[in-house]
Formats: sequence, structure tokens, C-alpha cells
Amino acid sequence: MTDVVRLDAIYAPSELVAREIEGEYILVPLSSGIGDMEDELYTLNSTARVIWNRLNGKRTLRGVVEDLAAEYNGPVAEIEVDVKGLVEELLKRKMLIELPES
Amino acid sequence: MSGSILSSIPLPEFRVWDRLKGKRSLISFCLELTARCNLNCTHCYINLPAGDREARSEELTREEINRIVDEAVSLGALWCLISGGEPLLRGDFSDIYLDLKKKGLLVSVFTNAVLINQDHIELFRRYPPRDIEVSVYGVTAETYERVTRKRGSFDAFIRGLDLLLENRIKVRFKAMALRSNVHEIPRIADFCREKTKDFFRFDPFLHLRYDGDQIRNEEIKSERLTPAEVVDLERSDPERLQALSDECEKIVDPAGSGELCNHLFHCGAGRNSFTLSWNGGLHLCSSLRHPDCIYDLRRGNLRQAWEEFIPGVLNMRSGKKVFLETCRGCPLINICMWCPATAHLETGEMDVPVDYFCDMAHTRAGALELI
Repeated sequence: MTDVVRLDAIYAPSELVAREIEGEYILVPLSSGIGDMEDELYTLNSTARVIWNRLNGKRTLRGVVEDLAAEYNGPVAEIEVDVKGLVEELLKRKMLIELPES
Repeated sequence: MSGSILSSIPLPEFRVWDRLKGKRSLISFCLELTARCNLNCTHCYINLPAGDREARSEELTREEINRIVDEAVSLGALWCLISGGEPLLRGDFSDIYLDLKKKGLLVSVFTNAVLINQDHIELFRRYPPRDIEVSVYGVTAETYERVTRKRGSFDAFIRGLDLLLENRIKVRFKAMALRSNVHEIPRIADFCREKTKDFFRFDPFLHLRYDGDQIRNEEIKSERLTPAEVVDLERSDPERLQALSDECEKIVDPAGSGELCNHLFHCGAGRNSFTLSWNGGLHLCSSLRHPDCIYDLRRGNLRQAWEEFIPGVLNMRSGKKVFLETCRGCPLINICMWCPATAHLETGEMDVPVDYFCDMAHTRAGALELI
């Protein structure tokens, strides 16, 4: 696994649980090594939440960017920056795994 | 994109807490897995023998727990405290613990650590609890086993505790200050502070049995310290004394709060939390065992309990003169053991004063120069 974000890779959540509480979208680490596990919660803003819901192990990151661009009628380059930014953060905290190529 | 796309927030600073201030919304619950315990502590309010078949047969099954917890999660619960009895007595403890974690709950566990084994360690290492709170009854076998009445339990406790600490599982300590161990409290405090910097607290307030067992209640009363002894203990712990002084600033001022209402409940019970007892009862807090305040979750569902039953309990009122003229308006209520739950355990009624509590509160108030 690498922390380098690749557009042709497929990513999926690692062992954590995503929950919505009082309008906040949070990620609760389940197993050790994810986040820092020391009384920390992780919250996603509304943009991150939209992206997160598509990081489900089904599409390449390029596919995720294209889907979002089509759905929100936005510029691919800008969406790509957001998507890669979030994925980089999530990989750094081991909240996302890169699936092996089939 | 503006703002931080992904933020890590220390749990106490989670902004949802601010949003929930003053609002009735579920945040946490206590899950009593069993009333049975491997120890037989003199002061315990719940323990039944480990081999008590009747108690065991009445315990919630894993499936029942999952059904209720799913509802709790859908209502917004974020934190679960697994308690007992001794929760590790349950053969399916690990399964239930993992079920809770996988629902996105932060899970804490209360245990005496005596039964901790390598399997538990592997579970906690892979799926860390928020913390494990361990009870310390003494730091010598003689004192520890005077309390637990179980030979060999001290060595097993040390073995279990060392396993937790060697594997860097987050441990917090608590100690009950009892007649049987009061001579050792300073050493217990030192022992705990050497083992972890995280947390240590002692509790000198023993309430009576949930099952009303008269013989066991007499044992509990015999373990209670006198108010003067409690004050001495509190004075010997500057951290606690400071916390108590801070708390006193929030003391209820009945004269300043207008006409007193006759509601029974003025605490946080049932506002952001509940207790699920080992046999399926929903309680506003762990100590509230009055039959009028228990909802059977085996027959009903949590949403109905939360939205209809608990508000009804919170609206209970008292017409009893002795209550309205004493506890209800007492300015020392915040440093008193009295509440409707503990009053019920002592007297069978929720709205009567309890002499021992009054003595304790007034002695503490005197020590803090409040009166």
C-alpha cells in the first residue's frame, strides 16, 4: 500500500464506521492503527461526505471524479483536487485502503 | 472548497455536545451484561454468584442486546459503557463487545480484571476500547481479599491488570473507600498513579442493593465510612478537594430560583443516557430501580421508552411535605448522595430524606466552609 493517490486505483474504507449524529457526519475508527484512536472523532464536511460515499471499492478514483463532475455539473480539474485531497488525508490516517488490482 | 474537508476532533470538543446542551437527546448508555460476579465483594449493590442459574437464564441474549442497541444507535447513541456484575463472566462477551464496536459505538468496559486473559488482550489490541475501568479494592492480598471474599483473587487481579498494562490497553482506576480498605486508600492511590497517569478516583459513597437483600444491605452499611472519615479522605486528596469546591459553586440556591416545583427529578437521568439492565429493564440511570420507573425492553421498544415512558417518569411529582420542605429545597443537594434513586434504595420511597445522607452532606459542607 502507498500513500500516493492514484487516479487509476480503487479505494475502499478500512475498518471504521461512518455515522451521522445531529447533522454531523463522523468516522469512528474500529480497529487499532486507524486515526490515532485517542479520544478522537473524525468529521467530514458536506463535500467530503459526498466523496466518501463514492469511495466504496467499486470505481477507480478517476471514475469517481467523472461521476461527481457529471452529477454536479462541475469542472473535472477542481473536483479532482478535492477528491485527491480527501483521499490523501484518509490514506495518511489509514482510513482508506487501496484495493489490489483484479 | 472551503474549510477543512476532514477534521479530527478530540471527543470532549465534538461540537455536537454544544448543540445538545439542554436538549433531551440520547448520547450514551450503560449496558449491564450480567448481575453475576466472580467476586463476592462486601459492598456491592448488584453481585449475584457466578453460578446463579436463575440470574443467568434471565440475562439478555446477544440477539436481544443487538436489537436494543440498534435502536439506541438509530437514536444517536455514541458511547456505550459495558458493566455488570462482571461482564467478562459472559461467554459471549467478546462477541457482544465486537458487535457494539461494529455499530460505531465508543465502548468502555468496567471490570475487576480478574478474568482478563490473552483472548481479551488480543481483542482489545485489535479493537481498542475507549478505556477499561478497573476496580482496585486493595494493594495487598489480605485487604483485597477481605473485600472480595475470594481466595486467590488478588493474584489473579494483578495478573489481569499487568496483562492490560503490558499491552498498552488504556486503563483507568477506581477504588471504593470502604471500612475494610480505608487504611490502605493512600497506598491504593499511589499504586494506581504509578500504573497509569490517565485517571484515578475513589468513591466513598455506597448505595444499597438493587435487589433489596436485607442481609447484604447490612453488610454494605457496615462498610460505609463515617462522614468525618469521608471528609478526612477528601482533604487528603487536593485534586478531589478542588473539584468538589468547583462543584460547590454550582450549588442549587432555592431562594434564588423562584418557587420550588414539586418534580422529583432534577438530575440528568434520562436526558442524554439510560441504563439497560442485565434482564432487559430500561432505567433512567443505573441506580433507579423503583418499579414505576422501569420499562421492560423485552416487551416494548427503545424508541417508545425514550419518547414516551421516560418523559412520563421525568414528570413525576411529589406531594410529600417532608420532601418538599427538606431535600427538594436543600442548598447542599449537589454534594449530597440523595436523589430519588438512592432514597428509594434506602427507604423504598423516592421522596423522603435519608439521615445518613444528610449527615454526610452537612459534614462535607462544613469542611468546605459552605455552612
